[in-house]
Amino acid sequence: MNVYHQTGFRDKWNMECFQKGIGDGLIFSPINIDSDKLLGLNGTLKETGFLDPQLYLLNEAKGTLDSYPYFPGNLKPDFTTPDLDNSHIQLAQLCVDYQMANNFQYLVIPTRYYTDNPTSYFAQSSDYFVTPFCDFVKYNKFKKKILLSVIVKTIMLSDEEKRNEVLNWITGHQHIAGVYLIFENNFASKQIKDFDYLLNVLRFIKVLKDNHMEVHLGYTNTEALLYSIALPDSITIGSYENLRSFGIKRFRDLENSPMRSPNARLYSSNLLQWIDYEYIQAMKSLIPDYANYFDDSEYKPLMFKPDFKWHFAKPEPYKHYFTVFYEQIKSLPISQEDRIIDLKGKIKNALSIFKTIENYILLDDDSDGSHLPTWFNVINAFQKELN
Amino acid sequence: MIRECKIIKEIAKGGQKTVHLAEHPEIGPVVIKRGAIKSFTSLERIKREVELLSELKSEFYPQQYHFYIDVKLKEFEIVEDYIEGYPLRESVSQFRNPKEIFSLLNKLVNGLTIIWDKNIVHRDLKPENIIIRPDGTPCIIDLGIARFLDLEALTKTISPVGPCTPIYAAPEQLSNNKSLIDPRTDFFALGIIALELYLGVHPFDPAYVGNEFSIVENILQNKYALNTETIEKNDKLVGFANNTLQTQPYNRFRNYQILNSFIAKYI
Repeated sequence: MNVYHQTGFRDKWNMECFQKGIGDGLIFSPINIDSDKLLGLNGTLKETGFLDPQLYLLNEAKGTLDSYPYFPGNLKPDFTTPDLDNSHIQLAQLCVDYQMANNFQYLVIPTRYYTDNPTSYFAQSSDYFVTPFCDFVKYNKFKKKILLSVIVKTIMLSDEEKRNEVLNWITGHQHIAGVYLIFENNFASKQIKDFDYLLNVLRFIKVLKDNHMEVHLGYTNTEALLYSIALPDSITIGSYENLRSFGIKRFRDLENSPMRSPNARLYSSNLLQWIDYEYIQAMKSLIPDYANYFDDSEYKPLMFKPDFKWHFAKPEPYKHYFTVFYEQIKSLPISQEDRIIDLKGKIKNALSIFKTIENYILLDDDSDGSHLPTWFNVINAFQKELN
Repeated sequence: MIRECKIIKEIAKGGQKTVHLAEHPEIGPVVIKRGAIKSFTSLERIKREVELLSELKSEFYPQQYHFYIDVKLKEFEIVEDYIEGYPLRESVSQFRNPKEIFSLLNKLVNGLTIIWDKNIVHRDLKPENIIIRPDGTPCIIDLGIARFLDLEALTKTISPVGPCTPIYAAPEQLSNNKSLIDPRTDFFALGIIALELYLGVHPFDPAYVGNEFSIVENILQNKYALNTETIEKNDKLVGFANNTLQTQPYNRFRNYQILNSFIAKYI
């Protein structure tokens, strides 16, 4: 299973870590990197990764998105949906050409975002994006594998009819090698604790794997560990929270609410959780071997110095996470059966450590292990279905 | 061309058309189909079938020699190859063991790949529409209701059932869910044909499923027999059925490459 960097703001951190051997590739984000700058990047940064075309909102020129040749506003000012009737072929060609010029590992078909998908969504997506894109690739005899990007909304997991519709649509495309799946995350908590949601994600991935498709999961947080038991081909690591949880707000030109700075957090592979730095400070004064609960990395000594000023915009906690989580994913057993056993063991171990910690300090539900019983139960339910 | 042909006998007569066996002085035995054009849709279907057959030029499909429409009389005439051999319906005894069945499926898939690659779905695969030539090569006939995925659909969206032979139709045809029609629709029919050859009975037949529904209702409810009182389950055919006879297309083989590699294991 590969691990891609979901890049965004401060993509320099991802590239630096990737060049040190952390991660298997990079997923590039047009709203955060100028088109020419991306073209000029060293090929080794691109040849194992791919582009997320980010046409989610069609004509919203967030960040540097309008520097890309396939950005619809560059074909026609005030581009709207009806303009796709005349421009979809050109748009697909420009999008393919740009991706080919960068020599990415995959070619990615864009997708659009709607709050509520219209009934014609899949037919339109086929007509406007999938068909012209695949036709152009075929016509030019490009040999690269094609990934279809799909935003999976919660209702597509919970409603059987919608789930059937999206799965039939995805698997009906003969010329794609796989999917770049993005599960929309509308949860208020930092970890996903919804049993049905998580189990349905695993089932969704399994169906696509049963269809012999490559499954690449975008915007994953630590639940990627849980998703790993459905054997996807890749998961992602990202720095800021909006790169580990997909919300359309990130792609809107004017974000509605003012940004509120989150507290800095540190990931622990033993706890399977990100811990708020304020609790780390408390642990430091109350638990003698507190540092052992956190993984070693080249960034740890600096972060555990008494004078380290924790701040969510500092690179060390994120680079630490990239390193630790990458190693954790890479150390997972290959076989599904062994992976399930291994992860259940890790969860039990983490819960046991949390019990010890809570003898000294109490954690809120965004830093404690309250997501782990749900993970454990989801694994058992999925395992039962496999048998 | 028809004037040059000598009619030998009537082969079939239905509501839509009559079919005669005839002899052409140069080509030899041919089939002449004549029928009424009842609507724009039926004309369009005939035209699509004729255009497709004229470009296929494959032993898996009949060769087309002549096509004519009489606009005044609203009639059509087609002259095509006479396929020597017998319909699969009459040749079932040749295909009883799994190896023979998978060998036939392999040939059928090779033939169907030609139209699937053109984004065309046959939609009417059944033992009557497969002629087994003397050398064992199947010839697939009657593309009259084939769905051309790149062209506008000819079936009305409000029709409760899409064009099909109901007892060989996939659930999406029976419910006229046009957006779901793709090669996996034909995979479903191949699943029925394979099991029917093995069991000697239609797998959705209520007498063998053990209920009182009709075949069509059993297709819609995904209830089928994998064995009979006299014929035991065969793991290879069970595997094939489980990957073709599923209600949701996403639970069937995704494409013909995967279908082919499954079949190749057993020939």
